[in-house]
Amino acid sequence: MKRILGGAVVLLFLGAVPLLAKSFEGNEYGKGKTLYEDKCDFCHGIRGDGKGPAAEPLLGHPVDLTGSGFWKESGESVIEDTIKNGKEMMPAFNLEPNQIKDIIQYMSHTFKKTTQENRGGRKEK
Amino acid sequence: MIGKKLGTTFFLLIGLALFLLLPLNTAQAVPSFERQTGMPCNECHTVFPELTPFGRIFKLGGYVMSKSGKQYEFPPPLAGMVQLSYTDSKGLTSGVAPFDSTNRETDRSNLPQQLSLFYGGRVYDKFGAFVQGTYDGVSNKIFLDLTDIRYSRNTILWDKNLIYGLTLNNSPTVQDVWNSTPVWGFPYASSGVASTPTAGTIIDGALDQQVGGIGAYAYWNNLIYLEGTVYRTARNGITRPLGVGTPTEQVVDGAVPYWRLALEQRRKNHFFTVGTYGMQADIFPSGNSSGPSDRFTDIAFDAQYQYMGTIEPEQMEGQKAGEPQAKANKHIITAHATWIHENQDWKASFPLGNTANSSDFLNTFKMNLNYYYRSSSGDIGGSIGYFSTTGKTDPLLYSSNPGDGSRTGSPNSDGIILEADYLPWEKTKISLQYIIYNKFNGARTNYDGFDRDASDNNTLYALVWLMI
Repeated sequence: MKRILGGAVVLLFLGAVPLLAKSFEGNEYGKGKTLYEDKCDFCHGIRGDGKGPAAEPLLGHPVDLTGSGFWKESGESVIEDTIKNGKEMMPAFNLEPNQIKDIIQYMSHTFKKTTQENRGGRKEK
Repeated sequence: MIGKKLGTTFFLLIGLALFLLLPLNTAQAVPSFERQTGMPCNECHTVFPELTPFGRIFKLGGYVMSKSGKQYEFPPPLAGMVQLSYTDSKGLTSGVAPFDSTNRETDRSNLPQQLSLFYGGRVYDKFGAFVQGTYDGVSNKIFLDLTDIRYSRNTILWDKNLIYGLTLNNSPTVQDVWNSTPVWGFPYASSGVASTPTAGTIIDGALDQQVGGIGAYAYWNNLIYLEGTVYRTARNGITRPLGVGTPTEQVVDGAVPYWRLALEQRRKNHFFTVGTYGMQADIFPSGNSSGPSDRFTDIAFDAQYQYMGTIEPEQMEGQKAGEPQAKANKHIITAHATWIHENQDWKASFPLGNTANSSDFLNTFKMNLNYYYRSSSGDIGGSIGYFSTTGKTDPLLYSSNPGDGSRTGSPNSDGIILEADYLPWEKTKISLQYIIYNKFNGARTNYDGFDRDASDNNTLYALVWLMI
């Protein structure tokens, strides 16, 4: 009985951690952010600057999503195509169309804005 | 009866995995991590199982990096492993007469030496696992082998990346990501039947599958790694499932703390690591599971150097203007070294008369250099390694015995390992290994008191290692 209880406590703990984390994320942030954090930020970084923890050891540097050049050259269709089919070291992701759309919206909203803010900051100086 | 059922289930699962995996085309017929991430094996491995810098990050990330939009993997991330080997040695094998035809544990040919089924990849969301179930062809037993279940997240701390998480595992250092620590250290495979020196530290394999533990880790700025794990015996209680199939011969008394600190630094495509790890374990004398226990305190230092020619060095930050831009090439060099000091306080064994001294010590040192070249017809390379064990003489602990004993009561052994590897395909490794003993159990000649020399244990080992 003691063992069963002990096992149940461990399973509950192990199960509760991600579920709590998930529900918190679901309320706090959008689907795009959750997907970005799950699929992209390890390489592209939480801040989208291409400096995630896995970026440094990769052959080929992850794209800086905050760079003005990226948004000039990459329309939504290009980003969608890259996510679907991969590019260089980036693998092709097996995502639903609405998931890809959510990620692009999140990236556009978060990192494009950051770029504009940065430009503004430099002008003020 | 339970063992027989377990065996039948294991072989059915292996059969199912082979049935599911073998008919797939080249791009898909891969171990589960590769299928999950969509990245080639050599992104994470120089030559398996040695990890690349990216492989270390993948492991610290909890094995969950995935190209799938689902929070779980379907079909489950299963993979298989087959090791077929041949051993040739003049000397004793497994403490029995040389290659005794009536004893399976002395067979020259081990077909298979090991057969494993892995659950390797994401379990759910940020939960991932590396779980290995193994059929050992030498001992003819099935058991839960190396197991590391993780929960991992990443964030920004002090403007830098931080990966942090929890690990639940059954072998101290199985969770480590550098190949300079015992579980994943060189040699990555060795004969299951050849004789090996008697003395070894507790942290160097003695507690594998004998304990279960949970730990927390953090890796900041791709620079500092810190981990603390607490183990307890897998003989009973909630950690018992982590030792399934392995008799608990080393019963630890209470909690066993394990620590790890490592610093990694990159300079272009050179990766340098220095670290320390260790543990303190109270272990009951052999055959006991209560009463007084002996205390083992292991303190280790390790270092790793990795030259990843396959990574473009120009991608580094801080590149000086006008500095020549080197290009990625096909050369990979890795060097490892680890030194372990163990204090042995025989609080229980000395009063029982099992040791001649109230305390002893062991020092072990291992180093190796690996070189691999990624040619168009496969990866080719080789390794040279040196190992040494020294310690306090204890005639009762290391007593005279034919083959595996010590005439002098000394634990001292040292030797060299030479290995050549060829991978015609990413997931097939063919190795030829030769171990040369300079000193074995305390002496170069007549080490056991029965006219056996250290060189009699020199071992030639051929291995075909397949990942499916």
